[in-house]
Amino acid sequence: MSLIDVALMVLVIATMITLTLGHVAYAVYFERKVVAHMQGRLGPMRVGPHGFLQPIADGIKLFFKEDVIPSTADKTIFFMAPLISAFAALASIAVVPFWDGFAISHINIGLLYILALSSVGAYGVILGGWSSNSKYAFLGSLRSAAQVISYEIAMGMSLIGVILLAGSTDLATIVRAQSDYPFVLPQFLGFFVFLMAAIAETNRLPFDLPEAETELVAGYLTEYTGFRFSLFFVAEYAGMFIMSALATVCFLGGWHGPDFWIFAKVPGVVWFMLKVYGLVFFYFWIRATLPRYRYDQLMGLGWKVFIPLAMLNIAVTGLVKVASLPGNG
Amino acid sequence: MHMTQRDRPKERRGEPTGFAAFLRRVSLAEILRGLALTMKHLFTPSVTRQYPSEEREPFPGSRGLHALVRDPATGEAECVGCCLCAAMCPSKCIHIYTSEGENHGKVLNRYEIDTLRCVYCGFCVEACPYGAVVMTEHFAYSGYSKDAFLYTKERLLENWDRHFGEKKGRSYLERFWRPRRGDFSAKRSTDTSDREDR
Repeated sequence: MSLIDVALMVLVIATMITLTLGHVAYAVYFERKVVAHMQGRLGPMRVGPHGFLQPIADGIKLFFKEDVIPSTADKTIFFMAPLISAFAALASIAVVPFWDGFAISHINIGLLYILALSSVGAYGVILGGWSSNSKYAFLGSLRSAAQVISYEIAMGMSLIGVILLAGSTDLATIVRAQSDYPFVLPQFLGFFVFLMAAIAETNRLPFDLPEAETELVAGYLTEYTGFRFSLFFVAEYAGMFIMSALATVCFLGGWHGPDFWIFAKVPGVVWFMLKVYGLVFFYFWIRATLPRYRYDQLMGLGWKVFIPLAMLNIAVTGLVKVASLPGNG
Repeated sequence: MHMTQRDRPKERRGEPTGFAAFLRRVSLAEILRGLALTMKHLFTPSVTRQYPSEEREPFPGSRGLHALVRDPATGEAECVGCCLCAAMCPSKCIHIYTSEGENHGKVLNRYEIDTLRCVYCGFCVEACPYGAVVMTEHFAYSGYSKDAFLYTKERLLENWDRHFGEKKGRSYLERFWRPRRGDFSAKRSTDTSDREDR
């Protein structure tokens, strides 16, 4: 690999990270607006027209906040935790196929890579809460640990149906396998389980128990301030983007759009982003609608509903796949 | 035994039971209804008022900053210094100082309201037999020192001119603060023995 290739790669990576951070800033704005209007309020209105510059004002404010570190905190881990979370979320972008032939890195285990990194991101949450040495943060991180165990299984299982249908864990191959119809049609059960598990995975309402403002101050990020706090924020919103992108790739047909009339002329990345933002909107919509689940309800839902549903989905998909193999007619 | 909504059997609450209840849970019907509701509200105009740039007309009869009614004839306060308002005030924030003037009349020297202690109950206005103290519609006032909120007689008279004025203030007295029976006819006389509502 020549020096120019490396420079080009670094440029692409820097561009993608910048775009992701911009996305995070405006996803927060989008969320505040959507949730506000759903509750009969207006949301940010003061900074710029309709509060459009609010994310920039917030960013500047967070940047210049005092960086408070609790005296009893485990400093090394306290420093590392937000970095782990943000790194895991940003590194996942690398394999997302935004349009046909484009992904920062083409690896044939893209699906496993994203699932693995999302688990690493949960480490940031757990370690951050634990090293803060505060009871609220600690409770939040314990909840996060239990939640990750219950929901990661359901999430992994819900994607097995997709892997069976596409015959690959390469994200681009999965999208190409959906050129006729998106996998959400045969895999509606898997899609449902995946969406719910993704909400739990990214600690969003109604499964935001690790944060739970009303019970735990701010859960795992209680003791974090300023820039470290914003790193956790970046991780949460980037994680939401990754999970929506994964759902788009695995169930909604990725960059494929309707194949007729003027729609066929629209570039794939537009379809991709439309689907992703549709799902991100769904996250906000759910947040504005449902109250937080109780802890045992969350566990019960994960173990007693989503995992059996995902298993049923695998069994049915497998049977159909075997029955349709040539020679089994 | 007292039965709450929870104790009552499901049939009596009008909720489905058995298979119907199962179907309702599995189909997420209630969550879908919730989602439909929030989606409807997304396209309903918000109720928020952008306060400083968009001020609501105060409701008639609202209780804001105090004022002393200025007698149009003399240009002085109509207050006779009877101290009924100070006696009624639950937070004891009205301070009145009087002295004996010529012909054994009562002279009002100082009339002060410490608005930082006021709870805006309006008892002073209701207690006043002469309709001499009122509450204006002005509510958004601020200052940098404690003294800015200590309203002296002069400042209270100024409030009457600035925030109410003769016409509006009189209409408030007539509509909201007139004694339940009778009116302010006892005005100009310190003798209240002829009042019906004693």
